[in-house]
Amino acid sequence: MSPDSQQDFALAFLSILFEGAPFILLGTLISGFIDVYLPAGTMDRFLPKNRYRAVMMAGLLGAVFPVCECAVVPVIRRLVKKGLPVSCAITYMLAAPIVNPITALSTWKAFQGQGAEMMTCSRMLLGYLIAVAVGFVVLRLPLRAVLKEQLVLSIEKDQANKASHAHEAHDHDHAGCSGHDDHAHEHSHAHEHGHAPENGQRMVAAFRSAMKDFVDVGVYFSIGVCITALFNTGIAPGAEWLDSLATNPTAAPAALMALAFVLSLCSTSDAFIAATLDKFSWGAKLAFLTFGPMMDVKLLFLYQSVLNKRFIVCLAISLFITIGTISIFWQNLIFQAK
Amino acid sequence: MKPHLQRIFQSLAIIVWGGVMLYFYGSGRLNNYLTPDFRPIALAGGLGLLVLGLFNILTAHQEVGCGHDHGGEGEDAHDHESGDMHPLTAFALMIVPIALSVAWTKDKYSPAALARKGLYETPKNLITPFLASSMPQLTLEEIEKTHRKTPDGFLQFNLMELFFATGDRELQSLIDGLKVETEGRWVDEKVRNPNGTRKRLYRLFMTCCAADSQVIPIILDFGNAPPEFPENGWVKVSGTMRFPMEEGEIHPMLVVEQAIAAEPPFEESFMRK
Repeated sequence: MSPDSQQDFALAFLSILFEGAPFILLGTLISGFIDVYLPAGTMDRFLPKNRYRAVMMAGLLGAVFPVCECAVVPVIRRLVKKGLPVSCAITYMLAAPIVNPITALSTWKAFQGQGAEMMTCSRMLLGYLIAVAVGFVVLRLPLRAVLKEQLVLSIEKDQANKASHAHEAHDHDHAGCSGHDDHAHEHSHAHEHGHAPENGQRMVAAFRSAMKDFVDVGVYFSIGVCITALFNTGIAPGAEWLDSLATNPTAAPAALMALAFVLSLCSTSDAFIAATLDKFSWGAKLAFLTFGPMMDVKLLFLYQSVLNKRFIVCLAISLFITIGTISIFWQNLIFQAK
Repeated sequence: MKPHLQRIFQSLAIIVWGGVMLYFYGSGRLNNYLTPDFRPIALAGGLGLLVLGLFNILTAHQEVGCGHDHGGEGEDAHDHESGDMHPLTAFALMIVPIALSVAWTKDKYSPAALARKGLYETPKNLITPFLASSMPQLTLEEIEKTHRKTPDGFLQFNLMELFFATGDRELQSLIDGLKVETEGRWVDEKVRNPNGTRKRLYRLFMTCCAADSQVIPIILDFGNAPPEFPENGWVKVSGTMRFPMEEGEIHPMLVVEQAIAAEPPFEESFMRK
């Protein structure tokens, strides 16, 4: 790498890292405290019993727990371990970065004078529908087809522990057992627990868990940002090529989705970039704003801390085709007059 | 690897990330990387990382229960702490890129990257509705009210206003022929400069972070050999603003009367509001 390239890479790398790391920290702190303090099955209790309704509800959880795509990965990783159905977790993971008030506000602000309301509503709706559709598909898949092997083994081990624990004598107090996996029985929690940790110990455990999650996600984020920075600083040779595709109704959404994939922008701020792409149609921008928070270079690496590689590839291809197709249709149906 | 050693490596990686963020914030260098609304977030993130890392390094040797029954003996280093990869590999992947970047960065782009970000593009290709919407609507009355006059009689404009006047006929007619002063970074003019009498002045426009920044340039015409200033150095120029048509396109051009080296402004880049 020449000194100039080193300088450019460093500037882009650090700026993206500074922008994204706080959001990952937020996500991992939440996940660490979920790990230790949130009883397994709590999320289940918020969701409807019907699996399809549960997936539909999970797509809206981002409105209550607003997180960007960097922060959502460690959170859902922990929630899956805590027993949240994978279909709901994937739906939440894909929808939350888009269907949340912060992203809605930034999209609305960025598109002022360019049909802000229409773009904001379209983005929210398309993001929600795509995430729910993926959730419905995941409902029908076995766990191993979706999650990475290590996570599946961890869940299976926890389930085995839960099963064995369910058969033990219950002369212990569950008051200090908030992070415990669900017992498969109903009983009074008024007895002494042999290994109930003190509150201070649980705090240490929560921070330890958050640190471990931060490192797990931070490694992939670091790799993703490296690649993004390399593309970002050398992306201009493709700029002319991109411009040449702007007027092509089919190629334009594909080109902007490819750009979103490479740029790996945060969903809370990507609308400000999309709004600058004035040569492109609204449909193409919608594709950019929907595909980017669901799949980009950085997420490709982050997802590997939760999902298996084959599923990630299938998800990427499916999202690309589905979002591209809907955006073209959307463009023709709604934005044609623009 | 022993669990406490693993914790120490993880803590160190986090402390380094947090430390770098705090150093860039404290030194003011972060201004070159993030827009103002992201800076307090970076500060909070840096502090949070530092606290997380320090807390964990100080409690690294402490054995704690986590409130779970892990169903067997010898599982102290259970799923709460075992990572996706070897702790040293994870440590290296987190530390090496950031360490190299801190060593390599000059808080600015190279000329080649600037060219890629539009330094030599025509305004027609650079002005977008989003950038244009970042500019206030100006009238002659507004200009006189909001732009200070130097003792030499030059109205102080920022570079972005001069640049955007190219795409706004009304503003262009107001500014064309005005005596103005502006500042920016000084670079060679590499296009439409047959006599070598021109230079280029630019500043960056940042939407969120430096990675998405875009160059906002104008042409400086000296009529004869331009003075010498360091490449990319900050320069204050004053002269008459013109918008000549060259090769079928309008360009913002300052016919320079004075040029002096200047201190960098507090915010070197223009920022999204």
